[in-house]
Amino acid sequence: MKKQLIIIPFIFFLLILSIFLHLLTTERDPYEIPSNLLNKNVPKFETESLLKNERFISSKEFGNEKILVNFFATWCKPCRDEHEYIQRFADEQGIKIIGINYKDNPKKTVDWLNNLGNPYSNIPLDKDGKIAIDWGVYGIPETFVVNSKGIIKYRHVGPITHKEYKKINLLIEKIK
Amino acid sequence: MIIKRTFIIFGLICLIQFFSGYTFAVEPDEILENQQMELRARDISKNIRCMICQNQSIDESDAPLAKDLRILVRDLIKEGYQDKEIYNYLTDRYGDFILLKPPLKTSTYALWILPIIFLIIGIFIIYIHQKRSEKT
Repeated sequence: MKKQLIIIPFIFFLLILSIFLHLLTTERDPYEIPSNLLNKNVPKFETESLLKNERFISSKEFGNEKILVNFFATWCKPCRDEHEYIQRFADEQGIKIIGINYKDNPKKTVDWLNNLGNPYSNIPLDKDGKIAIDWGVYGIPETFVVNSKGIIKYRHVGPITHKEYKKINLLIEKIK
Repeated sequence: MIIKRTFIIFGLICLIQFFSGYTFAVEPDEILENQQMELRARDISKNIRCMICQNQSIDESDAPLAKDLRILVRDLIKEGYQDKEIYNYLTDRYGDFILLKPPLKTSTYALWILPIIFLIIGIFIIYIHQKRSEKT
């Protein structure tokens, strides 16, 4: 009886070990924090728009069609890296993309878009970073997929890579 | 001699450690004029995680987002928000992860209760062991 009891800590140890092993081997980024806005309505906000004369009013933009929301800035190197994929979303998928320009210099943004191309249908300006806080953004670039009812279905933190591009493409086709 | 020197070095390290705990990142232009409000802001900031550095509070972090959140907390206090409402405002956007202390909820019961259970089991095992060795 006593000898049998000795096995219990070993089983316990193996159990913990297998949990650790599972967490180590499954592909995940421990620094990526799940968005609290998933399956919730997009935050309401109003701000200036970069290339348009009228103000950006979120309630007018969201809720009619699927939209990709991309937080970007010209000073952010990974934003430049992902730009070709953002452009491909616009060209190949024809999805409407709103680019929220985070704490940036509007002049530099215009130059940047002239050089690299403009995939965005509208560019609201987030001068003090308050819109980003409402979206739970903590490190740009961040990309959100919003469905035609104005509900956030997906969030990606960091630059869009080829793999992420394919993943988001599939998701865009799947959601309504 | 060596022992004495080791003690002095050890003491110095302890002293440095003791004072390093008091570093904070609040900049002069952020501080509110109303002292009571400022103290509330500092208290709240100490419980809010810097989402970029993750193991620091926004009170200690120099990250730009931490600064934005410190200013936001102060703006909300000025607008008349209660402490609980400010925490809710932040968790609505960033989830419970933004709180340095996880709240006691159904999903976190295990996290809070398991250590106590393990402690009780441990004490129980030591107690039994002690009893047995007394008998022999």
